[in-house]
Amino acid sequence: MKDFRDSFSFMADHLDLLWHKLVEHLALSGAAIGVSLAIAVPLGMWLGHLRRGSFLAINVANIGRALPSLALISIGLAILGLGFANVLVALVVLAVPPILTNAYTSVAGVDPEAVAAARGMGMRGREVFRLIEVPLALPLLFAGIRTASVYVVATATLAAIAGGGGLGEIIVNQASYGLSGVVAASIWVAALALLVDLGLGAVQRLLTPRGLRRQAPVLGPPDRGTRHDPRLQPAPGAAPR
Amino acid sequence: MSPAPLAVTVIPNFGRGSECVRDNHTFCWGWFTDHWGDTFRPALTQHVVLTLIAVGVGTAIAMACALFAYRQRWFEGPFVVFSGFLYTIPSLALFQLLVPITGLTTTTAEIALVSYTLLILFRNILTGLREVPEEAREAARGMGLTPRQSLLRVELPLALPAIIAGLRVATVTVISLATVAAFVIDKGLGAPIFAALQTSFKTEFIAAGGLAVALALTADALLVAVQRLLTPWARIRVT
Amino acid sequence: MRRTAAVLAAAGVLSVGVAACGGGKSKSTAGKPGAGKPAVTLGAKNFPEEFILGQLYTQALRAKGYKVTLKNNIGTSEITYKALTSGKIDAYPEYTGEIISTLFGKNNRPSTAEQAYAQAKQLVGTQGLALTQKTPFFDRDVLAVLTSYAQKNGLKQTGDLKKLGAKVTYGAPPESRTRYQGLIGLRQAYGLTKMKFKPLAIGLQYQALDAGQIQTGDVFTTDGQLAGGKYVQLADPKNIFGFQNVAMIVNKKVLAREGADFATTVDAVSAKLTNDAVQKMNAAVVIDKNSPADVAKKFLQANGLI
Repeated sequence: MKDFRDSFSFMADHLDLLWHKLVEHLALSGAAIGVSLAIAVPLGMWLGHLRRGSFLAINVANIGRALPSLALISIGLAILGLGFANVLVALVVLAVPPILTNAYTSVAGVDPEAVAAARGMGMRGREVFRLIEVPLALPLLFAGIRTASVYVVATATLAAIAGGGGLGEIIVNQASYGLSGVVAASIWVAALALLVDLGLGAVQRLLTPRGLRRQAPVLGPPDRGTRHDPRLQPAPGAAPR
Repeated sequence: MSPAPLAVTVIPNFGRGSECVRDNHTFCWGWFTDHWGDTFRPALTQHVVLTLIAVGVGTAIAMACALFAYRQRWFEGPFVVFSGFLYTIPSLALFQLLVPITGLTTTTAEIALVSYTLLILFRNILTGLREVPEEAREAARGMGLTPRQSLLRVELPLALPAIIAGLRVATVTVISLATVAAFVIDKGLGAPIFAALQTSFKTEFIAAGGLAVALALTADALLVAVQRLLTPWARIRVT
Repeated sequence: MRRTAAVLAAAGVLSVGVAACGGGKSKSTAGKPGAGKPAVTLGAKNFPEEFILGQLYTQALRAKGYKVTLKNNIGTSEITYKALTSGKIDAYPEYTGEIISTLFGKNNRPSTAEQAYAQAKQLVGTQGLALTQKTPFFDRDVLAVLTSYAQKNGLKQTGDLKKLGAKVTYGAPPESRTRYQGLIGLRQAYGLTKMKFKPLAIGLQYQALDAGQIQTGDVFTTDGQLAGGKYVQLADPKNIFGFQNVAMIVNKKVLAREGADFATTVDAVSAKLTNDAVQKMNAAVVIDKNSPADVAKKFLQANGLI
């Protein structure tokens, strides 16, 4: 309890340090999420549009969720060596699956009647995709991005073990900063994860067509979509780091 | 008696490593098989034990709390807040925070690991129970089952898919975080990872990391198989 | 000289053999000094030399019948010492200079290894802790650079880094940030105020040097990697890294409880630990990737300690 109280004076005394580490943390997380988006969103939505590769899209999430983060960083240390690149790759491997699965599910799960109606109106594949599937897919796609982002922000803490910087650097250095420093940095990580979750949650709500809005759960497990195909469940929630 | 400063020290031949090992190639299969028995098998076993205990205890606690919340709705909110709070603490920190209380022991690791399973399991068990169709409950009542019998024979079995889905997430989460536990206790597959950090030894990084990945995927697949066995009726819906 | 060593070793092995025979079944602890004594928990810090030391003392004590649990890879000096003072462990091998400056925050610089040992012993004594005899070997932190880098920039001693200013990144364990035997001392004694700092787990320094992520790294003089000629050590004329012989810090109550043979056993191991021996053991673990337990066992057997 004392460490908890002291952590606030630690924050006051080491604001510069915490700020600096926060910026590193955000840079690492941001880069990881950016790369993951670039890979997973086009691929997932394209597969979803073609309604092909459902086996891949569904199972990749289950496999991705199961991968132990420290183990990935460890393997990365052997292959890529120390530092930013290694941790970045590990985080991307963790972030791609939920985004990919939701990107796929969001498009493939669009009401077939809506698609049929659009085709009936004479729309071509590309137009159907752009005007019907994408807008209807956005909320669920964003749910995946949100899950992945929270996961990445939390897991980036482990980067410190591999020389990747971030708030974890304070958490692994109890020797210098004491337990109060460890607690202080943990509070920052937790608050950051929560802010990212709430922030992206708000965006997700904004993107949801009014008629489809429902309460989005905060943090974690199954965001059960009401989809037609029972296999097309969106990616399950993030695990802690 | 003070040690004689001139005592002669004999330095035995400790055995040279293979060229692969000395030059730190990406993966030295020979070294891995040589140390399977003294390093990796024990670490893997410890990891499995750590995981089984954490998931077992976590399931027991979550089940008890979920059953309570199933009957007493007010309990759900506080428990979700509590377990959600535990869920947000970075694992690296939680392990360290527990050391002053429970020491450098397996207990420290288990408390942290269990606390990460609660939110997932509690939510899935409760959701599973609540999604049991009202008709099923009524049918049970109509057959003259007591509430307790109805819970055990009808509601819990119908909630099984959701419960096992929660178990899958909880199990792979624990397997992942148990590697981090080696930050405070020298056990599990994280131990060789942290040891390899001292020597930058690639084979050890890959072997320990690879085993952890394999363990997680195997555990996940096993639970899927268990679910298929236990809930044959669900298969129709899925395929 | 070599022949004497061999004869002594043979005598040692022989006497152990005889003792083992005399004790009846080899597993039996009856009649051994540690038999029936309460269990002891030893600790080891977070780098290979400590893993080896932990194994050496643990195995030697077990051979004398003591019940020993080893908690390996606990953490830095600060963390491991805290584990000791809070009773989580009963003893662990520590470096004398580390006791003086890291654990007790004293920045005075003893001029001999004996002085450092005496001061360390006095300091831990105030906390209800005892210090066993020190080892002949010492292992200090030192700044290492790639040999090519040293040649290019004309680096001989630590202070030479000053002229490179902010172009130098110093890679060291995270705790160095707040240690006199680390960033603080380097700034105060050598004026390396512009040098950047990159926290790295012990052991990653060489990899980071190779990759050019750091230009100088905090390493140990007994590291096996230093033998190859790829890296050079920068001299420490201001002696900020102090004298670093090893001794076991033991809780006094535990020492009294375990009887005189406990310290005698520990001291007998320590007495054999010369620079050469420890460097070879480090290399056997770090470069040849033998397990610390195996290396310790071979060493103890060769020296008649088990």
